[in-house]
Amino acid sequence: MTKPIIEVKNLAKNFGDNVVLKDITEQVNPGQVIVVIGPSGGGKSTFLRCLNLLETPTSGEVDFNGENLTTLDPKRVNELREQMGMVFQNFNLFPNMTVLENIKLAPMKVKAVDDAAATKRAHELLKQVNLDDHADTFPSNLSGGQAQRVAIARALAMDPKVMLFDEPTSALDPEMVGEVLNVMKELANQGMTMVVVTHEMGFAKSVADRVWFMADGFIQENNTPESFFSDPQTERAQDFLSKILM
Amino acid sequence: MKKKWVLFLALVIALFTGATMTGTTAHAASDDSLAQVQKKGTLVMGTSPDYPPYEFQATVHGKTKVVGMDVAVGEKIAKDLGVKLEVKSMSFDSLLVALQTGKVDMVISGMNPTPARKKNVDFTHTYYQGGYSIVINKADKGIYKNKDSFKGKTIGAQTGSTMYNESKKQTTDTTVKGMTSVSDLILGLQSHKLQGVAMEKPSAEAYVSNNKELASIPSDFDLSASDTSASVAFKKGSTSLVAAANKSVDQIKKQNLVNKDYLPAAGKYLKTNTVNTSMLHYWKAFLKGVEYTLIITVCSVFFGFILGVLLALARMAQGGPLMTGLRWLATAYVEFIRGTPMMVQVMFVYFGLGLVVNLPALMSGIIAISLNSGAYVAEYIRGGINSVDKGQTEAARSLGMSRGYTMRYVVLPQALKNIWPSLGNEFITLIKDSSIVSIIGVSELIFQSNIVRSDTYRGVAPIAVIMVLYFILTFTASRILNFFERRMQHD
Repeated sequence: MTKPIIEVKNLAKNFGDNVVLKDITEQVNPGQVIVVIGPSGGGKSTFLRCLNLLETPTSGEVDFNGENLTTLDPKRVNELREQMGMVFQNFNLFPNMTVLENIKLAPMKVKAVDDAAATKRAHELLKQVNLDDHADTFPSNLSGGQAQRVAIARALAMDPKVMLFDEPTSALDPEMVGEVLNVMKELANQGMTMVVVTHEMGFAKSVADRVWFMADGFIQENNTPESFFSDPQTERAQDFLSKILM
Repeated sequence: MKKKWVLFLALVIALFTGATMTGTTAHAASDDSLAQVQKKGTLVMGTSPDYPPYEFQATVHGKTKVVGMDVAVGEKIAKDLGVKLEVKSMSFDSLLVALQTGKVDMVISGMNPTPARKKNVDFTHTYYQGGYSIVINKADKGIYKNKDSFKGKTIGAQTGSTMYNESKKQTTDTTVKGMTSVSDLILGLQSHKLQGVAMEKPSAEAYVSNNKELASIPSDFDLSASDTSASVAFKKGSTSLVAAANKSVDQIKKQNLVNKDYLPAAGKYLKTNTVNTSMLHYWKAFLKGVEYTLIITVCSVFFGFILGVLLALARMAQGGPLMTGLRWLATAYVEFIRGTPMMVQVMFVYFGLGLVVNLPALMSGIIAISLNSGAYVAEYIRGGINSVDKGQTEAARSLGMSRGYTMRYVVLPQALKNIWPSLGNEFITLIKDSSIVSIIGVSELIFQSNIVRSDTYRGVAPIAVIMVLYFILTFTASRILNFFERRMQHD
């Protein structure tokens, strides 16, 4: 049995009186692509953000490679975050830096990579996301799809073991969704471990190893995409699928 | 004579330093003042060089220096003690505080030994006995004879001075108007806002001999000797120093040195001074003013910015009791600084801190203005940091960047861009507000212009000059700021 890279145990999170996550226990194995789907407000994004401690869990633990993040000192958490790239719904590129600088910043400051090496690696990554001709562009001059691909390249620049995607296509115009999903598919094919929160059912069907259906603060169903979409086990999932597949 | 010891100032200092000050005064009981001065080798004299012929600035061999009969008196005392004289300029109001806080060893500034002043400092015997005159326009010479001729008219005198008080007491149906500087009073006279100006006789004569449109008439005030005499002031309790100085003062009196040597010498300086009253002739004085204004502004902006960043971060600190305490402290600091006048802060740093460490006026001014500016900049920066989207922080943290790196490389640069116009405003405000340090005698533009005004007996021209100079400074600054603002535009 392979050792899981991410292990979530009895994770719970509330914002004041608002209970968002209730007792989640799941695990992600290396190389797996997990797609988290479910209705809005079901806690998907909060769950994802608990994995790299952007949100501090109220109780329970999140283990990365066997280390419990919730008990580590901030310095070690920073080190482990390097290994978990994250891509946001709104890209969150640094607007005051060029595409190339966006990608180079963290490797140079955090890993002390020298400028030449960082630049070389950044160009490689830009080629991987088909944007090498935009290296010196500022983010405000990029389309949404381009910006999101830069954001993926930026996260990859830290050579992460896991990539977390928080609704990466939700803020995009429909015609740009494809270019981003293609990059993600390619990444999955290369064997990257991925946890993807999305509403793209097509992506879930074709790329995911497991689908986690999340609603009301629980993972209601953990299934293969084939069985989940053809034969959902829970009533909650049936209800959800009937609404979106119309 | 001259302005009285301003009680307000004493109050401010006393309020802040209270116990410390009484402590120092009590200490002086064991008197080694003379030995200390001799050990130092210099005697520091404080004076307010805007009062010819007592003390004023003159250009000697291309260099600006303080001259006048009081300086001659100071030189005599220093020579008799076998030490060097060092002259420190500051506003009259600040002189006695400077003496009490050890910024200067003695004050010679046409100061008369009134009972109120005697409570705070020790005086020598008087070295000069003057009298009062009233300066009028020459055209009115037939109309006014003495203080009683001004019924229904207005006469002017320096605010808080003995002349001012006596003019009020000893005239009937006459309006007495007070102004801070004698140059302003003369200007008021020439523009017919005033019909006469009461001042000391030597000063009156200096003004009359330098301005053909003025004339002087006797005042006929009824005055006691202590109101018209001038003495040297020392720190309370410096008995040995006063005794030594008294020997010199007695010699001056006995040999009539003031009238025989000092006044004529001062007169000569006055003449060389006023041969050429064109503003161009004083370009060096103005240049020095610009230089100091820039030094103060640039240093204060630099340190104020650093302090502002630290304060802003402290105000946003979150976590345990330590962080809460830090936040509370920073908030209290910002509120307190914003809630007190910058002028009071400048005086407090110079005189108040002066009790603990002896800081030069320029450094005190820079410290005070930096401390002040930091409070305002902190608020701008806090607003700037809050204006940066939270997603930026999350993106940076998700890449493994620490809180500090995130702030430094991601949030602050963007915050800075957002608040650049506000910071620019602060910079330009500082250029103008740096004028406040003129009260502690830093030779920035305002201070220099006051000196040029009293040197040239011209009221308006120097003001016009510094107005233009200030505008050139602020305009250039705003152009430079705009340039950088454009360079930061990426979207």
